[in-house]
Amino acid sequence: MSAARGGLSALPVLPGEVVLEAARGVRHRGAGGSVRGTLLCTNVRVAFVPGAQPPSFSPFLQSDYSVALRCIRTLVAASSFTKPTVLTATSTLSFIPEELAVFCRDFRLLRFHFPENGLGLQAFRVANAIAQAWETATWPGDSGSHVDATMGDDEDEEEGSPPTLLFESLQDWERELQRLGAVGWRVSAVNERFDMAPSLPRYLWVPSALLDHDLKRTFAHFQERRVARLCWHHPNGSDLLRAAGFHAASEPGSEDIRCLEVLLGAGCRPCVLADTAELPSPPDIQLAHLRLRALCLPGAAADEKWLSALEGTRWLEHIRACLRKAVEVASLLAGRRCSVVLQEPSDRDLSCLLASLVQLLADPHARSLRGFQSLVQREWVAAGHPFPQRLGLRRDSPREESPVFLLFLDCTWQLLRQFPAAFGFTEAYLLALHDSAFLPYCSTFLFSCQRQRGRGGVQQPRTQTYTPVSSRWDPPGSTVCRLPPVWAWGLRYSRQQRARFRNPAWDPGPVGTPDAVDPQNTGTPSSTWSGSSSGAVLALSKGSLTPQPFPWRSGRPPPRLLRWAPSLETLSDRGGDPIPPPPRGLLLPCAAGPSVRLWRRCYLRGLPEAQHGRLAPCPALLLEELALLQERLRAWQQDGAHAEPASSPLAPSRQRRVAAIGGAR
Amino acid sequence: MASSSAPKYNSHSLESSSIKRTLKDGANWEKSEEIPRLPGETRVTDKDVIYMCPFNGPVKGRVYITNYRLYLRSVENDPVVVLDVPLGVISRIEKMGGASSRGENSYGLDITCKDMRNLRFALKQEGHSRRDIFEVLTKHAFPQSHNLLFFAFANEEKFSENGWMVYNPMSEYRRQGLPNERWRVTFINEHYGLCDTYPSLLVVPYNATDDDLKKVAAFRSRNRIPGCNQVLSWIHPENQAVIMRCSQPLVGMSGKRNKDDERYLDIIREANGQISKLTIYDARPNVNAVANKATGGGYESEDAYPNAELFFLDIHNIHVMRESLKKLKDIVYPNVEESHWLSSLESTHWLEHIKLVLTGAIQVADKVSSGRSSVLVHCSDGWDRTAQLTSLAMLMLDSYYRTIEGFEVLVQKEWISFGHKFASRIGHGDKNHADADRSPIFLQFIDCVWQMSKQFPTAFEFNEQLLITILDHLYSCRFGTFLYNSESVREKEKVTEKTLSLWSLINSEKSKYTNPFYSKELNRALYPVASMRHLELWVNYYIRWNPRIRQQQPNPVEQRYMELLALRDDYMRRLEELQITNNSKISNSSASSTSPSQMMSQIQTHF
Repeated sequence: MSAARGGLSALPVLPGEVVLEAARGVRHRGAGGSVRGTLLCTNVRVAFVPGAQPPSFSPFLQSDYSVALRCIRTLVAASSFTKPTVLTATSTLSFIPEELAVFCRDFRLLRFHFPENGLGLQAFRVANAIAQAWETATWPGDSGSHVDATMGDDEDEEEGSPPTLLFESLQDWERELQRLGAVGWRVSAVNERFDMAPSLPRYLWVPSALLDHDLKRTFAHFQERRVARLCWHHPNGSDLLRAAGFHAASEPGSEDIRCLEVLLGAGCRPCVLADTAELPSPPDIQLAHLRLRALCLPGAAADEKWLSALEGTRWLEHIRACLRKAVEVASLLAGRRCSVVLQEPSDRDLSCLLASLVQLLADPHARSLRGFQSLVQREWVAAGHPFPQRLGLRRDSPREESPVFLLFLDCTWQLLRQFPAAFGFTEAYLLALHDSAFLPYCSTFLFSCQRQRGRGGVQQPRTQTYTPVSSRWDPPGSTVCRLPPVWAWGLRYSRQQRARFRNPAWDPGPVGTPDAVDPQNTGTPSSTWSGSSSGAVLALSKGSLTPQPFPWRSGRPPPRLLRWAPSLETLSDRGGDPIPPPPRGLLLPCAAGPSVRLWRRCYLRGLPEAQHGRLAPCPALLLEELALLQERLRAWQQDGAHAEPASSPLAPSRQRRVAAIGGAR
Repeated sequence: MASSSAPKYNSHSLESSSIKRTLKDGANWEKSEEIPRLPGETRVTDKDVIYMCPFNGPVKGRVYITNYRLYLRSVENDPVVVLDVPLGVISRIEKMGGASSRGENSYGLDITCKDMRNLRFALKQEGHSRRDIFEVLTKHAFPQSHNLLFFAFANEEKFSENGWMVYNPMSEYRRQGLPNERWRVTFINEHYGLCDTYPSLLVVPYNATDDDLKKVAAFRSRNRIPGCNQVLSWIHPENQAVIMRCSQPLVGMSGKRNKDDERYLDIIREANGQISKLTIYDARPNVNAVANKATGGGYESEDAYPNAELFFLDIHNIHVMRESLKKLKDIVYPNVEESHWLSSLESTHWLEHIKLVLTGAIQVADKVSSGRSSVLVHCSDGWDRTAQLTSLAMLMLDSYYRTIEGFEVLVQKEWISFGHKFASRIGHGDKNHADADRSPIFLQFIDCVWQMSKQFPTAFEFNEQLLITILDHLYSCRFGTFLYNSESVREKEKVTEKTLSLWSLINSEKSKYTNPFYSKELNRALYPVASMRHLELWVNYYIRWNPRIRQQQPNPVEQRYMELLALRDDYMRRLEELQITNNSKISNSSASSTSPSQMMSQIQTHF
């Protein structure tokens, strides 16, 4: 028992966390070699405390050695006498394990080795305890009373940059709309009680010309009542909208049609409907991700067949499709004043991905760290991406798993790789966000829409509180929403780690808004547009624009196909040695095979070959050193002035700090 | 800051971008003649042509041919299209179309280059312009076939550094602590009498007499009469284990033995006080080694060499490598294979060959370093795969070779002086494009170095640009460095007197080739991960002509890092100055016992 207690004291626990079992003298085998320490199983996670490691200052601190129970995908126990056994709560161990392998959802693979010398019982008990705890572990979103933690928002201050907008409050929506300079648009509170569209956020950006009364007429004509609303506004007047598919059974009357057309911005400028048919479906993404995950396990494919096996997962192909489509939409928006409506039947998956990807390409603000967080918050969290189901964290809906969000993070990584100076954040940041998607102690990804989150008890930004009848999501006394958002990095990552999140090579460019594109410049011949009246409705598919009537219109489209130039194919495949430089602020990534790579640092983490010491030195550390030098210089200069050895920069405390920083690597 | 400075280099390399944008008012290009010319470069002819750019469509322009390059400038000024190709990279010139084909510009010329591209021109029928240009190009691109000298012999450039001084075999051996009580330097090959493809200076076991060497020589390699010895490439500074190189033993079908060779290998084994077996790495696949017996070659049998263990490294021969690169070119030029990029890449096997070479080199390096055993490396002749393996193993083991100068020494020593047949493998100035002796062995080595530098971004003093520049001048014939097959021929042709060294160019502007992330680490062995999962196609080299494939040069992260480093140096300098003045003020204060230099080292520790 003393063994368990020894481990217990070394592990700073979360509020409400209980250590269930512990085993000492366990070896963790990682890329950096083998480390001895204590393996603990709690009701929240599996943690490993290396022998020499001092207790970390915060129980939330991200550790390479621990994993949240719900982030575990598979548990495998092995011994030299039996074949490896997959552990579940029901299949109890029938042998003393020599090794426990924990396969994590975030692509990590933790290997714990139990030495033989008399620790058999401990090994047996801890392995069983992990299997049990893993099976019974509840997701905070399931019960709501899991972790009782009260924490303020601990975002570290970033000088001069706007805060991360959560888009819970009216002010956030107003503020962002103002930043976009979207004249002609307003914030509507028509869905404040979620009675118009339960999965949409409280506030919507809609045309000023449309009164709430008229707006209400339009909901019924979209699937799940997810009405069209503004996502982003280009300074040249183009608008990016998103909506669910048109409701098949709806038969709008003439008044409804008028309202719908005002809503979609049709009538005064071309309205382009961009569907998600060329993008992978959520099941496609899930299948590709499963294959990728299987492939990234040690020994999964013969090395000489690795490339074709990787191609066979289709993961990179899906990324390329997303990038291509985003380039098409972004150049369309930049090319001429128009409105593009992203339309996915459900409007909750690929629409989230495409809407945010287009903004990453077109809006430099979205590429700052805070801007990116606000973007995720608006287009994913507030827009009602069903995170718990899609990340596979709910037990009741295994069929709905599809890592659309992780695909988006990979797309973002591809952009970062192609444009290393265009982003305020780094690969380390994306990796942290990737892993945080599976953490039980952040509220951001726990809910599938704002309504559900609201029922969870988030602080209500309004004075009048309407609380719907309690549902199964809403046990009384719920404390879930006191959990911090994922953006509270300071709780989970040390200062040094966070320093690595910021891209020192970032060139934010001219502050403000992107250029409008000269249509000639991107190769959009104005003639392709001039053939269509300003009120035309077009469909974007395979890089071409085709006239297409709204489903409720009886007018026939002219049969002519309009080729629209600045798609990826035409812009780049044309070869165009002198490719016109993209307009300021617009990123046009290359989606060709050699340009889209595997995110090795994320997916190949579980492989035995070390990724150790293979990172370029981080400029963030250099920046830190510079700050230190500067400080020292200042101190010396003061010394020179006062000739006071007492304040010498060589004072022991200062030296310790230098050593600490050096050691932190 | 970073964005305002002009790009320092450009991955298209050869000191010219293929495309430049200039202002519209740069008219009168015909008269202004901004055609770059090196000292010693003379103009031969110029013609109006149409350049059939595979990415951009036809470009009207004028082509200038000198004794060094083909230079094209477009008539259109917005944008200006420029093509600057040293004639040395041309491997084949073909006529296409002609009288029978229709159209104004039906007279075509197709130029295949050694650097992964083809150039196509269309010429007018009038005035036999194609015949003229074809003849001029053929003559100057293939000087060897026309009894002309390489441009290197006409080049009159001046550099601040003399690259021929970079490598001195004696001082390189001395750097490794040689000769010592176990190894001696021999001048037996001074006039290339022992082996005409080896350098004049060799290091051999102290206990082997020159007489022994001659006897052993007769038993090694069929092509090098009288054959070659096992000679030392590198010695481990601590455990004294060595890397030796040689060619295959002349075993033949009858399984000949040679007592002297067997004894010599034992002497090598004993030279580092080794009790265990000597390890022999045969770079070839097992079957090839067996097949070589039919032509008099073979490998060391267990019976004849009981104190040695033999491993085959499964690296394929020059012909396989040549075909593999050909396939790679097919999928990247002019168009990148779109629909099945990765499986197409796999089917070229190029990365797989890279992997096998790296794997072999890792084994060699690991045996020497961890196994503390001396190793002997050979293939068939010991000038292709052997050079790849020994030089890569040395690069893994010895941090000196990861500096700019050390890398130059490595190339000069293991490749140039030990007789990698550059002339045959590259075909300098030779019109016989289908010569079976040609093979991208050296390119493969540079690719392996690039893979290592990708996996260890801080370990190399040089950057990608240096590697690309080396490859460009491997073909250009502007420098004497890579000309000819061996040291003996180079001596006969007086290469060091009559030509310039590529290292002169590089060492005169080192900053251009310096990796800002480099942090000096002594004596750390680097073992790259030689797995397809971690190897990458070198896009910036193989697909550099395709403007669609994005290349960010210079890398903004690198640039920013360089700025920060400069800032740090500035702070350190000021700090030191302040400390010196302060120390003199409070010189009697014993409290601050740390000296400024101590503190500096302390700060530097985390780099």
